[in-house]
Amino acid sequence: MHHNIYLRSSDFLFRFTSIYFCPEFLKAKCLMNCEVALILERKYEQLQQMSDDPVNQVSQVFEKSLQYVQRFSRYKNPDAVRQVREILSRYELAEFELCVLGNLCPETVEEGIAMVPSIKSRGRVHDDEAIEKMLTDLSLIKKFE
Amino acid sequence: MFFHIVLERNMQLHPRHFGRDLRDKLVAKLMKDVEGTCSGRHGFVVAITGVEHVGKGLIRDGTGFVTFPVKYQCVVFRPFKGEILEAVVTMVNKMGFFAEAGPVQIFVSNHLIPDDMEFQSGDMPNYTTSDGSVKIQKDSEVRLKIIGTRVDATEIFCIGTIKDDFLGVISDPGATS
Repeated sequence: MHHNIYLRSSDFLFRFTSIYFCPEFLKAKCLMNCEVALILERKYEQLQQMSDDPVNQVSQVFEKSLQYVQRFSRYKNPDAVRQVREILSRYELAEFELCVLGNLCPETVEEGIAMVPSIKSRGRVHDDEAIEKMLTDLSLIKKFE
Repeated sequence: MFFHIVLERNMQLHPRHFGRDLRDKLVAKLMKDVEGTCSGRHGFVVAITGVEHVGKGLIRDGTGFVTFPVKYQCVVFRPFKGEILEAVVTMVNKMGFFAEAGPVQIFVSNHLIPDDMEFQSGDMPNYTTSDGSVKIQKDSEVRLKIIGTRVDATEIFCIGTIKDDFLGVISDPGATS
């Protein structure tokens, strides 16, 4: 069920990309920057416990990704991160759409649609009111974090 | 965008590692071989988060090496066309600017910077609006849209634009100083 939603609504976004032809990505889960930050920080702590010099243990890709997600995470607190996914999941979003919204936290309906045009595409249930409610819910998590 | 994905790889192991910690040796070798690599197909492998399954080994003729099929979960970063993301500006010149989003490099050509922004040379080359209110320089944070990716076997390079609604500078390093 979940994968069906993902396939259908992401079709628009993936049409021109090679990801669409990559079977591994159809089953993949998208991650928000704040979720990646939690995963990478935990991995970095584990490395720290095993060796005195974790900086030399990690690849440049790891280091750059960690710096990036720490800089661009809207939510730091693990509970807030979980809530963001939970609340966005109520709106029948594709995995991909959920993560773009969670990463960019658009403030207005117009901005939200500009960031993820597919939420407004044909056959979707979202009217402006529903999108507005979703964005308000998102900003409330941030406020009470 | 970051993805959590399951991948499979055939790992060759030397017979000297066969023993009770064979699995640990396999996992250690997997991390060393795979983390930090980039393939056009899967993007950048950032970190392995778990090993799902290690299959039966197959002895290679003549060498004694054994090949194990290993299924593992990992976090990958794979940019794609149409995606909007935030990035940090790393270099500005008259051709445009380069920005970085995690491991990936994105080039924004001056044709894809709004027409009201002019290039200013100097110690800190930048693009500035005529009234000086918006400035793009090294370390600025920008929101951009990826309009093209060049993917080859071991590298991904992106072309981006900030010439669209709700794109452009989100924070200016000079503004606070």
